[in-house]
Amino acid sequence: MLDVVDRATERRAATNERPPAPGMSVNAWSPHSIVMQDAWFPLAHSFAVGQKPVRRAIYSHPYFLWRENGTPVGSEFHPNEQRLRDKSRHTDADARYPVMEKYGFVWGWFGRPEAADPVHLPSLPFLPPNGGLPKYMLGTVRFDCAAPLSLENLIDLTHADFLHADVVGDEKSESETIETFHTSETVTMVRNCKAKSVAPVMKFFSGIRSPVQDVRQVIHIYLRSHCAIAYGRFTPGDDVPLFHPCVPETRDRTRLDYAMNTSNAGFMFRHVMPKASYKVSRQDSSMTSPQSPRYMRPTSRRDLHSPLDAPGQRYRMALQELAARQEAGDFTYRDNVSADCSELIGLRRELFKF
Amino acid sequence: MSEPKPPPAWWAVARSEEVTSVKPLSSDIADQPIVLWRDKQGVARALEDRCPHRRAPLSLGCIRESGWIQCGYHGWTYDGETGRLKEIPNLKDKQKFPPLYKATAFAVHESGGFVRVSLDSTASAVAEQSATMPLSGTVHVSLTHEQYIAALFDDPGLLIGIRGVEFTPYLMSELHVENGRLIMERSCQWRGLHWPAPFSPEFPATVLLSTHPVTGETLLTLRDADLNEHLRAALAPVPASRGVTAVRWRAATCKGRSGLFGLLPGLGNPLTVRSSIDAAALRALKPTASLHGAQLRAELTMNSAAIAA
Repeated sequence: MLDVVDRATERRAATNERPPAPGMSVNAWSPHSIVMQDAWFPLAHSFAVGQKPVRRAIYSHPYFLWRENGTPVGSEFHPNEQRLRDKSRHTDADARYPVMEKYGFVWGWFGRPEAADPVHLPSLPFLPPNGGLPKYMLGTVRFDCAAPLSLENLIDLTHADFLHADVVGDEKSESETIETFHTSETVTMVRNCKAKSVAPVMKFFSGIRSPVQDVRQVIHIYLRSHCAIAYGRFTPGDDVPLFHPCVPETRDRTRLDYAMNTSNAGFMFRHVMPKASYKVSRQDSSMTSPQSPRYMRPTSRRDLHSPLDAPGQRYRMALQELAARQEAGDFTYRDNVSADCSELIGLRRELFKF
Repeated sequence: MSEPKPPPAWWAVARSEEVTSVKPLSSDIADQPIVLWRDKQGVARALEDRCPHRRAPLSLGCIRESGWIQCGYHGWTYDGETGRLKEIPNLKDKQKFPPLYKATAFAVHESGGFVRVSLDSTASAVAEQSATMPLSGTVHVSLTHEQYIAALFDDPGLLIGIRGVEFTPYLMSELHVENGRLIMERSCQWRGLHWPAPFSPEFPATVLLSTHPVTGETLLTLRDADLNEHLRAALAPVPASRGVTAVRWRAATCKGRSGLFGLLPGLGNPLTVRSSIDAAALRALKPTASLHGAQLRAELTMNSAAIAA
């Protein structure tokens, strides 16, 4: 089978074509052409994988998951499937993918099977390593847009003040600062707002009486795995850490099996806040869905930016740099993604002890 | 350097049962009018639907006992295999005609319940198809051929319906090339009460599309999550006159379906191929898969043309 992800490589091999120049640009990038390999992708909540195969996809590659003796396995063929095509280069001789289970997710490796290593699993210090969060803190939403656009949407949190004002509050605040940090594998945005309009969801379900609150929000993106931590600390209010993966099922469709650990919050907020994803995701989708086709093809029309876009610009560059490295055949991890990131994201460990 | 010409293609200009030895059938490929009928041996024949004598449509004529087609205007009669003029009734004795006296004949191939015609004599043989699917129909749609295929890739629900099935915007496999065809697989839900598609962890079915890059002829397979097949269909869109697309289709429900929802598509004809399109929905439809599709179709067409050259 000539796969979507393999097509450019195969064509170049057949024609001795050189890999394209990276063409990295924050102004005119093509997120649909970026394919990340040698990475763990959170394909399913652990509870969703049982004896009967469930189907997933990464960049259009079929990925069937089920359990054998309680251990999750992954294959590119359904057990009932009559094999009419060759197996891909992303699985072993038995057409099995490397699969592991942690943080309440089944993770599938995509890339060279021999390179699969648990040390490349992203650090998620606010989730119990062995899973076990109640189901009401978990959910699935989908976006009909490219995964990098969904993550770019996330890292530019100023959109939330407009698109999600009815959930997290509007743009009014005394002051706002945004910082950006990055490694070769991650991009981190820290946003501090003083006296920001209180989030309506906290007003109604956490009983916050103050009209304003201080907000510290962190978005920490693992570039290769297309997943992010979104951690908000609201004072007065609650700590809301969200695991926000964006699995690229195809180059322009994204699956998000999320986990929001609201265990430190009061009863109402703890139950309601994770469900806000259903509202928020539709609001995001209303913008990212029409936005996505406009990034499918290279264009000479450049995007404009404001100083608030620094994290998004860094994300674009970092992702393109990693893609260019992979395009040139370098799949090594230059930074450790499984090192505990609690300090980096400012996690209050006392609230999340496992 | 000039661009290579598009490769010759076989267009499904009729369903087999539409072509008879009783009455000629008028069809077309874009602006090329075609007349179809069956000769004495039951072989489907195709000529330009234009009598070389006074340009009258041959499809307004009749089929003689000999299996030749006769123009209804002055009775000129042609052999379907070669297009050669065979008779001018009023000439009585003098029935020898120079080779120039002929209608334009087109190559015909019949398989899988479709009669296909190629306007180019160099067209390579069309692949034999499996057994003829019993359900069939023809509709005409006010979309160009390109627009029809683009809509099929972006939202098949605008063009077809499968009883008991809802298409979702979510894909298991985006458009890609396998064995010279365009393949994509779209997730579906059974109609009825269910979790909204954007929030559904699992989908119970998919529709697999396999599309010819030039003609857009598409094989459609509805499968459940265990990969059991519920429905197979072939859609053959052909560019017709005035920017209209003629869509001829065949379908068959699959045996061995199980479960309540598995049965729903199997009662009668579960497939609807729409002749009228919701223009408001079409206008709002974002081009996504079709953007890849246009590029892949162009690449495949160029490759085929280069090989043919």
